[in-house]
Amino acid sequence: MLTPYMATDQLARELKRGSTELLVLALLEERDRHGYEIARLIEGRSAGAISFHVASLYPTLYRMEDRDLIQGRWIEKTGQRRRRYYRITAAGRKVLASQRSTWQAFFEALSRVARIRHA
Amino acid sequence: MNWTGRIRAALPAADPDVAEELAQHARAMYDAARAEGAADEEAQRTVDAQIDCWRADAALLRRRARHPRIVDPPAAPATAWVGGLAQDVRHAVRLLRRQPHVALLVILVMAVGIGATTSLSAVAYGVLMKPLPWPDSDRLVSVRETRGGRSPRFGSVSNAAYLAWREETSTVEDLAGWSAQMVTISGAGEPERIRIVRATASLFRVIGARPAAGVLFGDDDERTNVAVVSESLWRQRFGGDPAAIGRRITLDAETFTVVGVMPDALAFPDRQTRAWVPMHVAPAAGNLLSMFEGLAKLRPGVAPEQAAAEGTARGRFAPDTGMTTMAIFGGTGPVEIAAVPYLDTIAGEVRRPLIVLIGAVLLLMAIATVNVAALQLARAASRRRELAIRAALGATAGNVVRQLVAESLLLAVLGGAAGIGLAWLLQGAAWSVLPADFPRVAEIGINGRIVLFGTALSMLTGVVFGLLPALRVRRPNLVASLAEDGTSPVSAGTRTGIARARGLAVAAQVAIASVLLVSALLLGRTFMELLQADRGYDAASVLSTALPLPMHTPERRTALLADLVERLAAHPAIEHAAFASETPLTPGGSTASFSLPPQDAAGGAIQVQASPRLVSPSYFAALGLRVLAGRPLAETDTPTSQPVVVVNDTFRRRYLDSDPLGAQIPMGFWGEEQNAAATIVGVVEDVRHIGAATPTLPELYFSSRQLPSGMRSGVATLLVRSRSDTASTRAVVHGIVRAAEPGAAVGPVVTLEERLLATSLARPRLYAILLAAFAAVALLVAGAGLFGVLSYSVSQRTRELGVRAAFGATRADLVALVLRQGIEVTVAGLAAGLLASLWLGRFLASLLYGVTPLDIVTYLAAPLILLAIAAVACIAPALRAARLDPVTALRS
Repeated sequence: MLTPYMATDQLARELKRGSTELLVLALLEERDRHGYEIARLIEGRSAGAISFHVASLYPTLYRMEDRDLIQGRWIEKTGQRRRRYYRITAAGRKVLASQRSTWQAFFEALSRVARIRHA
Repeated sequence: MNWTGRIRAALPAADPDVAEELAQHARAMYDAARAEGAADEEAQRTVDAQIDCWRADAALLRRRARHPRIVDPPAAPATAWVGGLAQDVRHAVRLLRRQPHVALLVILVMAVGIGATTSLSAVAYGVLMKPLPWPDSDRLVSVRETRGGRSPRFGSVSNAAYLAWREETSTVEDLAGWSAQMVTISGAGEPERIRIVRATASLFRVIGARPAAGVLFGDDDERTNVAVVSESLWRQRFGGDPAAIGRRITLDAETFTVVGVMPDALAFPDRQTRAWVPMHVAPAAGNLLSMFEGLAKLRPGVAPEQAAAEGTARGRFAPDTGMTTMAIFGGTGPVEIAAVPYLDTIAGEVRRPLIVLIGAVLLLMAIATVNVAALQLARAASRRRELAIRAALGATAGNVVRQLVAESLLLAVLGGAAGIGLAWLLQGAAWSVLPADFPRVAEIGINGRIVLFGTALSMLTGVVFGLLPALRVRRPNLVASLAEDGTSPVSAGTRTGIARARGLAVAAQVAIASVLLVSALLLGRTFMELLQADRGYDAASVLSTALPLPMHTPERRTALLADLVERLAAHPAIEHAAFASETPLTPGGSTASFSLPPQDAAGGAIQVQASPRLVSPSYFAALGLRVLAGRPLAETDTPTSQPVVVVNDTFRRRYLDSDPLGAQIPMGFWGEEQNAAATIVGVVEDVRHIGAATPTLPELYFSSRQLPSGMRSGVATLLVRSRSDTASTRAVVHGIVRAAEPGAAVGPVVTLEERLLATSLARPRLYAILLAAFAAVALLVAGAGLFGVLSYSVSQRTRELGVRAAFGATRADLVALVLRQGIEVTVAGLAAGLLASLWLGRFLASLLYGVTPLDIVTYLAAPLILLAIAAVACIAPALRAARLDPVTALRS
């Protein structure tokens, strides 16, 4: 939870962690994906602004899986090695919706205070 | 490139799944770099850099919590469910082979329950529901006549009413009269006692019979000596030879010509009838009234009540027959005709007892089901782990339920098959167990319908006792199941839902068992009351046998019998011997009516209906009848001395207020030549027909020495009072009778008690025995259930009991603890069962004698018996609790 008293680094970390989860959920909302795909998409769609540390992706995915926000499964397709795909759960969808509205409110508050506008 | 190997080398402590996933990521990175144009070493370096980052991240090195592998099930085709069921059944078979003793127990319990239910259903179906063998048998009604509301002493319709109705019928197609009797058949074989039916020719039309050979006699044959024999008699005596038509047979010294053969399937009224001869119904002229059974076939669409109304209306035109009506009906009054569906006539009196028995057997079935359900519940509880793993592997709740129900169904079907097999074996026994006069015994058998019913019942119980436990354990929580240890923390015995359910199951079984026990005690007491009732005579040491002497004149008969009795009395083993015109136990018998002069000046003549009997002077001594006043008949009463008569107590109470001795009884009913009157010289105790539908009738005893012509009945009854045991005396009697009359078809020599048991006591004994058997099985099953629950409870509470022992509880305290649990469950079930018995008792009322449905002795004895059984069931678990070593218990 963000409070004005957090140090900037910590704030940045918290923001990043919260945003990583949001990003993962949003990507999985579209369809099931495996870890590498998620990593590439986050880098690609944020146009590199979120310098995404891949090393932290998998711990995030596992954490989210423990919290039942996403569900990982091994899928074996013909002629291929099996891959671990992730799917958003119903709980994950709820969290995604709530996080979206939280971020929305945050941005609106920011823009009201600091007149920052988002695209 | 072995990326997995490289990841494992870099992150040796990583989870294999994590390693594999990272390896794939690495592979994808390498392939992407190469696709963008990087060289092999460069691409590898990129990936190695990533691997170094992963290695530095401690989070990745942690072992991952195991999530259940969720594998998408393949798309289920329609047959998957069946395949799943087949798999469940195979699994069930494997499971049962591993626990054969449990399986055997369940199959045994089910077999007993299903076997008893199937057997009784076969009886109920055969007797009450199966259609009669004749075409359109639902239109057959028996015709019953009453006068002024009184039923006749014998027969059901008089010739007067019958002929009056036959003159003009619109509601019935035809009327028939018939009457059964026992005769001695000779010619074409050994002399033998058989049952025949004398019938009007219309009987064959009414029942719609067709001969198997020859013809059935017609209206023109009614005064001729022709006979139709049964198929079985035809085979037995004539070898099934078609040339038997035209042969002669002798029935009780009368010769008949065989004209046809009746198929056994259509034999009327039952297969025990071996021949039919014509009966001519004479008009009721003067004082001649003959009685016989009446049968009619309703026209289609006519109700029995309509026919009865027509019969009554026509019957009113019947001529009046005065005293004879009085003799037969005990009163005069207008004719009333009732038409009763024939099936009700034969089976009606056993309907209520059969329904009671079926109720009892269904209770037994309920106990068996509850018992097995409790057993299955315990087994399901102990298999929580297995079921939880199944659920983790993807089984839905429905799959788990299906598996448990499949196991139960398998057991139920096996038990049901065993039960039906048992019932099939027992159906032969039905013939010997059921009393001889039980209706439609020949129709009782295990047919396809009954087998189907038994199978459906066993499957239903299988589903029930499978579903109940399955619903309790269908959502096993894997983590909790695997993490739990068997001996859970201390608390009271009924803490878990499953233990509570088992306790309830036992209480239910105890309740049902107590209902059956109360019923069994009531019926048992009824039978004992009937057996020990004071009938006025000593039934145990008096032997009797029927001696048919059809070929002699009445005088010759009397002389023969007197001689025979003298020979018997001379034997040292015999105390008294006598003969009588009728068996003392027959409520029917001959009847006479006459007028007695008024007792006082003001009164009018008294109309008497009484039963006259011809007996030898030693009759009362042989039977052990007490003389209440005056003297019995004596050898000094000769043909030339004053005619005397002895009356029974009922006669005295009904017709003679003042001192009976010396009153005059007219003897006109013995024949026209008897104009004299007999003097009453004694009053004897009543011969009571306990439990029979008819009450004791007024009876007159005349001496055979004074009325030799009176022995008109072709069959006499010999009575012998034995000095010692009856077994040896039997042979003596048989020997003496055979020597005197070699050609006579002597009946079996039995004690009067045996005769009672075979006739009027047969059914009460049967009901008592059956209910006792059900109650015994129920108590056994309930006791076993209680034992099972307490054993389980003790094993579950081992640690708790150890703690108590360690804190100073003595052996007695531990025993008391277990006993209290057992007694609580028993008392709960007992209370419910006794309340239910109080309510259900009313259905038994018609079967009871000498006890009421609320009999105190029964309601005191039943709880005592049940508590005793419960105590026995509790002993072993209680002793196990007492012998617990606290140290071992706490460590377990």
